[in-house]
Amino acid sequence: MAKSKASTGKKSEETTPSASTPASGASETKLRLPAEEKYAEELAYLASVDQDARPFAWRLSPRMIRTFILGASPQDKLDRPIPQKFFGDPSLVERAIVTLASDRGLLLIGDPGTGKSWLAELLAAAICGNSTHVVQGTAGTTEDHIKYSWNVAMVIASGQSRESMIPSPIMTAMTRGEIGRFEELTRCSSDVQDALISILSEKYVTIPELSGDESVVYARPGFSMIATANSRDRGVNELSTALKRRFNFVTIPIVTNKRAEKEIVMFRTRELMARNRIEVDVPPTMLDILIQTFADLREAMANAQSEEGRLESSLSTAEQIGVIEDAMLHSTFFGSKTLEPGTLARSMVGTLVRRVPEDVSILNKFWHAQGAAGEGGAKKRKKGAAKEETTDATAPAVSPEVAAFIAGGKQALASIK
Amino acid sequence: MAKAKKPLEAVAGDPALAALREQLTAAAAAFVGDSAHLGELLRAMVDDVQRAAAEPVEIFPVKHHSPASALHMVRRLRERPPRVIFMEGCEDLGAALTGLEHCRFPVALQAYAPEAPAFPVEWTPLNLVAPLTEFSAEYQAIAFSLQSEGTELVFVDRSVDHVFQWMPREGPPPGVDDEESDEAGDDDEEEGEADEEGRGGGNTANLHGGAVGLQIGAMQPTFGDFLDVLLRNARVRHYSEWWTQYVEGPTLAADYATYRHVFFLIGALLRRIGITEKDRAEDSARERYMWAKIRAHLRARKIDPKDAIYVCGAIHAVSPIPEFGTQGDAEWTIPGRTDTKWFYGLVPSSYAAIEHQFGLPSGEIAIAQSMWEKGLKALDLRPFKIGKADAEGKAKAGVKVRSKPAAAAASGPAPASPPPSVADSAIALRDFLTRPPTFVEADDEQLMRWCLDVVRLARKNGYMASTADTIAIHHTAGLLAKLRDRPHPSPYDFQDAAITCLEKDRTPRRRTIQRICQILLGGDRLGRVGYESLPPLAQDVYDRLAILGVNLKSTRIERALLDIQSRPELLPASDLLWRLRYLGVPVRPIMGERSLGHKPKQESWDIDIGKHQHGLIQLGYEGMTIEQVLERKLKKAAFESTARAASALKAAEDSILYLRSGRLTRELGLRATELLRAELGAADAPEIFQRVRALVHYYRTIGLPGWIKDFVSTGYQHYATLLPYAFSDRGTAPRQLAAMLAFIFTQEALAFSMGCERSQLLIALDQAEPEDPAKIALHWAAEWIVGLRTEDQIREEFLHLMENPLLLPAFPEYMAGFLLALEFTPRITRIAVELLTRAFGRLPDEVLVPWMPTLVVTLRPLGGQLMQTLVKEAGLAFPRGLGELAGWEFAWERQLPAVSEPAKGAQESAHQGAVGPAQELSPEEASLADLLRHHPMSLDALATRLGIDAGWAAVSSSVAASSAPGGAPSTPTQSAEKTPLAALLAEFPASLEALAMRVLGD
Repeated sequence: MAKSKASTGKKSEETTPSASTPASGASETKLRLPAEEKYAEELAYLASVDQDARPFAWRLSPRMIRTFILGASPQDKLDRPIPQKFFGDPSLVERAIVTLASDRGLLLIGDPGTGKSWLAELLAAAICGNSTHVVQGTAGTTEDHIKYSWNVAMVIASGQSRESMIPSPIMTAMTRGEIGRFEELTRCSSDVQDALISILSEKYVTIPELSGDESVVYARPGFSMIATANSRDRGVNELSTALKRRFNFVTIPIVTNKRAEKEIVMFRTRELMARNRIEVDVPPTMLDILIQTFADLREAMANAQSEEGRLESSLSTAEQIGVIEDAMLHSTFFGSKTLEPGTLARSMVGTLVRRVPEDVSILNKFWHAQGAAGEGGAKKRKKGAAKEETTDATAPAVSPEVAAFIAGGKQALASIK
Repeated sequence: MAKAKKPLEAVAGDPALAALREQLTAAAAAFVGDSAHLGELLRAMVDDVQRAAAEPVEIFPVKHHSPASALHMVRRLRERPPRVIFMEGCEDLGAALTGLEHCRFPVALQAYAPEAPAFPVEWTPLNLVAPLTEFSAEYQAIAFSLQSEGTELVFVDRSVDHVFQWMPREGPPPGVDDEESDEAGDDDEEEGEADEEGRGGGNTANLHGGAVGLQIGAMQPTFGDFLDVLLRNARVRHYSEWWTQYVEGPTLAADYATYRHVFFLIGALLRRIGITEKDRAEDSARERYMWAKIRAHLRARKIDPKDAIYVCGAIHAVSPIPEFGTQGDAEWTIPGRTDTKWFYGLVPSSYAAIEHQFGLPSGEIAIAQSMWEKGLKALDLRPFKIGKADAEGKAKAGVKVRSKPAAAAASGPAPASPPPSVADSAIALRDFLTRPPTFVEADDEQLMRWCLDVVRLARKNGYMASTADTIAIHHTAGLLAKLRDRPHPSPYDFQDAAITCLEKDRTPRRRTIQRICQILLGGDRLGRVGYESLPPLAQDVYDRLAILGVNLKSTRIERALLDIQSRPELLPASDLLWRLRYLGVPVRPIMGERSLGHKPKQESWDIDIGKHQHGLIQLGYEGMTIEQVLERKLKKAAFESTARAASALKAAEDSILYLRSGRLTRELGLRATELLRAELGAADAPEIFQRVRALVHYYRTIGLPGWIKDFVSTGYQHYATLLPYAFSDRGTAPRQLAAMLAFIFTQEALAFSMGCERSQLLIALDQAEPEDPAKIALHWAAEWIVGLRTEDQIREEFLHLMENPLLLPAFPEYMAGFLLALEFTPRITRIAVELLTRAFGRLPDEVLVPWMPTLVVTLRPLGGQLMQTLVKEAGLAFPRGLGELAGWEFAWERQLPAVSEPAKGAQESAHQGAVGPAQELSPEEASLADLLRHHPMSLDALATRLGIDAGWAAVSSSVAASSAPGGAPSTPTQSAEKTPLAALLAEFPASLEALAMRVLGD
């Protein structure tokens, strides 16, 4: 029980696949570094070798940004390796970069956990070296959060002036010519969203309270907006047509390709583990089991007749990362230092159970179907593993790992009351 | 920079090959630490190029639907016409080339074998297509050879027969999509979209049906990892895009030698690492075949190899097999064909069909077409055209003279394509290596037009698009092209830009921006085979449908209205349409039917032949006229070894409907009789019964032919013989048994006239010992009909079932069987209604409720007519209005007490003898009796008839008292109890009552 709680908590923290890490000095004081600090060296290097034209005041040329996000290939002839940071269709990233170079804003749409925010952060970091001008959209977001507000004490003391004004992150980005980010745009109400229209088209904000030169804040070249929207929120707060027109929409699909998914999970897990200084590698069999189980779950959820039969979780890649991180941490601190199938199963149950009676019963059914499939199910799983080229030839029809995994899952379910 | 990014696509020139080799090895060393492997590969590739280039037969490497190949082919042929063109392509497909001049492209060469005993059954009919577009090198070569007498075109690849021979016997039948690789993922999506797409009246992606597709010059890498690496490094999404950007564009304007070398090199690359082992083996076999053919041909015609061109896919141009080349000494004998009979012809094709068949991203062919047109204009070339032979022929003498300057002039405007000469080719090569890939005239105007048009189309499709979007798309396309290392936005960049700028979170109508872009870039194009090139059958169909006055060449659906009543001359056309429909040609009746005995008055049809010519053309391989094909098809259905009586009977019925050929119908009918005689079970009995009933019904009006009489009598005897077995056999379903009985009972009269006897049936029924409840009930019903059982007995049986709690659960099954009997005897409707009503009233819920659905299922197949009688009967049994309900009781409940109680009373009274009936006479009865006495003749007559000594009892005192006032004289007396007549009357009061009513009524 306690276990499941813990992992659920962790999950929510990790839903945004954002980075943190390397064992540099800064990480001692900051739990999670923004992308521009984390990849500062890489960015500096890329800027030094970049010879292409840069739009506005960008730090890098579009081609280098592409290299930064999608990784370098040998043909780029770079002196140091640049790892891939966002896994997805390259043309999608290209379209995002190009949009920012034009005079429209970029709106990334996708299911939760598909890496929208991560892509936004990478783009902002690469373009202007600052990804922290973020406004988080919520139901309580007001226009003040988007434009500016006043420091009341200073207003009383010395009247309204630029000094007593508190600019929003977006206004800061405007004045500096950097990228402003708006997370979960569709969570805030439509009239608040529409405050963005003038920012995106006129590229300035007027401050009626002030007069003269001070009354208009102009955006410097290089300013643009990256907003993210959750496709599950569709219809909650519809974007107005005028705002839609000022954004280019780029839809980020959920990763269904197993190979790509595996790469992402490996990449992220290694980063997260490095943060805790854990040098455990995920055994490939465990990874296969995890990915196959998620694939099975997705299939089952897609075939479920009603909303009742579906898990609340979106079963995204980010959740997989959450599961495996949780399992690794657990086995490192409380277990035998190696990742056990039972631990993995327990983490998975803990992560996926959000609503106590409903999710438990769905998982219960799924888990027992897996177990009952017995030989057959295991064979299928084995086949999946073989496709992933990680099959170990010595394993019998039902590998002991799979059996242990299933048993662990059942045990974890039994302990949830 | 661009060049350096793709060392593998770099190019060799003859004199510079050595230098190139060194350069490549050096490059390999520079790129990879361990360069031995890569260097080895690169060296081998250069060797391949050298080998191919040195071959005396001029090898012309091509890729399917590649405008660059086509343009170079045009130039090459104009320059120096060869004596013979060898071409990759099934050697026997050459037979299909005649008639191309009457076609609108794209069309496909087709080989078709309706029957192929040598191949697995599930493969037949074998069908192979090789699509041909106007902007392909093979088309240009074919067109050239067709209009110039001096040049001969020879297909040299393995024959169609070998294509199928070399296919693995296991696995799915050829032509079935068995590839579900990861790459296929987005193709499927596009397919789905295309399915929804209704452009021009439906999509044509599935035009080729289940045919096996062949491409001349197929060059698709099949080795997944290789493809992945290639795409990733080239930053393109799919192979076609890579090809367009890195090969097509640069070679389009390059000189001929460079073009060849580039293609050789890429061929070598793919051949060595780009394809799977399996494909490599097959390619080798094909190359052996091709070279064997080429050598044989050159020897036979004594042609100098220098006068020949060999057109083949670049992969085959660099083959490592020992049989390669005309000089090689290794010989290979061509394996034999099977004795399959092949037919060759042309079928229409479409861009979508080609893309679907070969798994190309949709829109690719349209893009190729636009490149071809652009290239033609830029290079100022005149393509060869099939069918324009006259004009070309006249100008031919001139062409030869003019061709050289034309070619030179053509290369003039293109920035870096010096005139093709061996001496210069080294310079050309160096030039090619060092300059970035050029396109034919970066066409800004075209891009602008696309941007405008896509916005216009998007608005039409419900998008909120405006001029601001046009500007944004143009800008974005330019940025994307820059990001992707392109000097000018390619169609793919444009498409991406349009999607980025226009596609929002939902699609307003059916079309997505992607789809709109595809339509904009050319969309689909459907080919057509001209009338003159059609097989005789299809021509015949066109001729005979001409009377309808619809445009059969239209690609839309044409509606034909046939008023047969006022224009009887349309009847043959109607017949033909029905035949076509029967054979699967896409014509659909909107109004009108064809059933036995139906005389058509007015019909309307949707005719879709223009778009689906291939169906008609394939029929053309099977016979000379549609009637012949139909007859063969019907005969096949009836005479094949697995045919059953029902299928033969169906064929006979179809022959009446569609062919009106008494001879054929008789032949098929006799076959059906023969099959019926040999049949052991009754599995098909329901179908046979239905058909025979309809046929007999139909023939009654025009005279029964011998075969149907024969069939009926055979059926009667056959089924009567089978009855006892069928009753006890568990494998025979009650439905089938019911159908057998129905056959017997409904056709009984006809059968008797043919000499059958009922006694056979009686004995059979006697022999039957059913065990199934349903069959037992059927047995009862059958016995009732032949008089072996009475209605009362049946009722008793059912009542017994209902009363016995142990038997009760079986009641529904009995009832189900009994209801089946409705099919052959409507007589049981009354008792069926009675029994059902009782059951509903009496059965406990646990039996009744589960039974309900089964009951519906039982009743449903009985059809409207039987249900109607059942409902009518039920209507009689139940009250019609609410008012009647109070005093209402069931007919049978009214009847039963009336039968039993008075009878009992009478018997008692008869036994006791003490009380006469007279004593109980009510006033009415008294008057009745009085009346009877007044008119004794009727009763007397009745008595005489019944053989009873009639005598009249004396009126007992009370009666006499009551009747005396009427002044009736008392007739001779005898005590009531002694008169047999009285006893009789007492026993059957109903008759007396009825009689009385009648009398009183008077």
